[in-house]
Amino acid sequence: MSYFIMQIMPYITLVVFTFGVLFRLGRWAGSRIVHNITLAPFPQRNSQVLGIFAAEAIFFRSLFSSDRTLWVGAWLMHIALFSVIGGHIVGIYTLGEEFIYLGLSSDLSKEMSALLGVTFGILMLAALVYLLIRRFTITKVKAVTGPSDYLMLILLLAIVTIGDIMRVFEHQFGIDYAPVKDFVAHLIMLKPLPLDHLALTTPFFVLHIFFVQILLMLFPFSKLMHVFGMFANRWIINRVYKEPAPGLPNVDIAAARQAGIGVPSGEGGV
Amino acid sequence: MPTYKDMVQPVRATENDMKKIHIDPTPDDQKCDKALQYLDEMRKKFRSFVTAMESCVKCGACAENCHTYLGTKDPNNIPTNRAELIRKIYKRYFTLEGRWFGKLVGAEDISLDVIEQWYSYFYQCSECRRCARSCPFGIDTCEVTFVGRQILHWLGIVPKLHASVGAAMEKVGNHTNLPKPGLVDTLEFLADDILEEFGVEMTFPVDKPNSDILYIPSSADFLLNEYTLKGAGLFFSYIGANWTIPSIVAEAGNFGYLFDQRFTQRHNVMRLLDAAQNLGVKKIVWGECGHGWRAAKMYIPTMADRPVPWPITHIHDEVAYYINTNQLKLDPTKNSKPVTLHDPCNYARACDLQENLRTVMKASVVDFREMTPNKDWTFCCGGGSGILFDDPEMYQRRIQLSAKKAELVRATGVGADGNGILCAPCSICKAQLYPMVEEHKLGVEVKGLIDLVGKALVWK
Repeated sequence: MSYFIMQIMPYITLVVFTFGVLFRLGRWAGSRIVHNITLAPFPQRNSQVLGIFAAEAIFFRSLFSSDRTLWVGAWLMHIALFSVIGGHIVGIYTLGEEFIYLGLSSDLSKEMSALLGVTFGILMLAALVYLLIRRFTITKVKAVTGPSDYLMLILLLAIVTIGDIMRVFEHQFGIDYAPVKDFVAHLIMLKPLPLDHLALTTPFFVLHIFFVQILLMLFPFSKLMHVFGMFANRWIINRVYKEPAPGLPNVDIAAARQAGIGVPSGEGGV
Repeated sequence: MPTYKDMVQPVRATENDMKKIHIDPTPDDQKCDKALQYLDEMRKKFRSFVTAMESCVKCGACAENCHTYLGTKDPNNIPTNRAELIRKIYKRYFTLEGRWFGKLVGAEDISLDVIEQWYSYFYQCSECRRCARSCPFGIDTCEVTFVGRQILHWLGIVPKLHASVGAAMEKVGNHTNLPKPGLVDTLEFLADDILEEFGVEMTFPVDKPNSDILYIPSSADFLLNEYTLKGAGLFFSYIGANWTIPSIVAEAGNFGYLFDQRFTQRHNVMRLLDAAQNLGVKKIVWGECGHGWRAAKMYIPTMADRPVPWPITHIHDEVAYYINTNQLKLDPTKNSKPVTLHDPCNYARACDLQENLRTVMKASVVDFREMTPNKDWTFCCGGGSGILFDDPEMYQRRIQLSAKKAELVRATGVGADGNGILCAPCSICKAQLYPMVEEHKLGVEVKGLIDLVGKALVWK
């Protein structure tokens, strides 16, 4: 089972994810922007459009104004998520020594890497729990929530909880950077790992990878497509609009007032 | 009976009404198949619709940003749930997850009940786009309502109000069925009034050849908002413009935009282009009408089947320009009552007119008080997209839909002494708010913005 999850399933996941996303994006691209539905205030330059995209993507600006309590949970969750994903990439690639480039010693860098991992892992867990409680307790949110919305949160919670356990109880359940890097490298080079390799025999790691793959396979067929949807939508509604010049043809107000247009002759207007 | 299984529904157009707008209603036993066929067509065409279907995370941020949900507390009036009425069908027939996992992702088979739900809820939506403004991804639920109403139209399900307005447009060239003699009479009468009330001698030119400016008033101004028409007339006379009103399209609105964004909407556009060409004008200026201005400014470029050589601007773009260049002499003390401004949703979110409205307002009145929230966060009057139904059930709904606006008007305090002015420079807003300020006892009078300009102009 663990051999299937770790050595065969990743390739299936890759195919499903890639072609699934391409299929969905292809369908979006096949339809057109028929009318101009840009949202006011209209940006005048592309740099302003970029500013809107950035403010929305980085700070969730609209959500900040429209639903502050959701913004707190959603923003924390996403910031923690991106930090964790970034941490995984650089941490595994450099074996936890990413901070030596900032002048830290090798040991200190590993400590730092672990500390940041725990912090953002716990933060993300807390944010996810917050979002789940929100779905159960607030009437309006309950009214828009379906079974798949709960399941998606629970799947994310499972991934994060397992990851946090591996971090916090590193010696009992965790795994070192080296075997993980080994695992990734072998996957990329299409080389199988020996059956007794740590990456295949650490139960929590296998489970973690299993759930992540489920998530990635669901990605193209679920609301996770909002990652692309956000940019696709904003591409439609946030774009440059140039106003026609004001000023009416053959109008000379000074002359009109001089001539007293509208004022009856011989008597005063108002 | 305007309800269906406990859902309120506007009175619908009869088969005869539908024939006048060129639709043969689909028989019940074919409705579901046809609806799917039309939905398939729409999803392949409109990206704004597809992304609304496929990228919502159901976070619920839109709920309390929608005046319809706030007023009715009906969960189907939460924007994302309103979209879900179509999304559940979309998922079931056009996505893998809906075909394979059905209930888990909220997919549902199409049925007549679902089509009736569309009719009920898509005609409670004002298409005001506050949900698009509040959505973290910018999903525009208005686009979903458009698609839903278009499909309903093709099936032969349209409110009687919308269908008859569409038919009137095609028959006489305006929404209120006023023939040319009626227009001319009314305008002569208004000119007499102006002489008496303002001491200004002027005429309203109709179909005057070789005019420079084509002014497109809302036809409701002829019947309900006379001061709006007077204000525009005073402004054009004051600046000495060579202007005219076209009788074949004496209509700033375009109800086609609200239920049939194909023939009905395009027909109105073509009338406009014909009028502009025949009268030899150089510029087209739009009157006070929210949805109509959006339909003109944003849709004519993609609706017209031929080149449009005339720039089209809004009358408040022009008034603001002349105020900014110090060419208008206005005396704000002539409007001394406290005034607040209701930003029409189509101006503030779809047309970027909100700053010019303020320029004009501040130059024309003494005591201007901002409403909060305003500008691109404005709440709709509750009548947006022409849901001005007056049968008892829907009228009650309109009171609920305007509750949020009433609360905001009250908070400005302009009506505290019973002599305030609620400026709503849009025909649908005016038609909705005239009765609603009474229902909510706001102590304000509803006025257009050009009305106030007309009053404040200094002639000598």
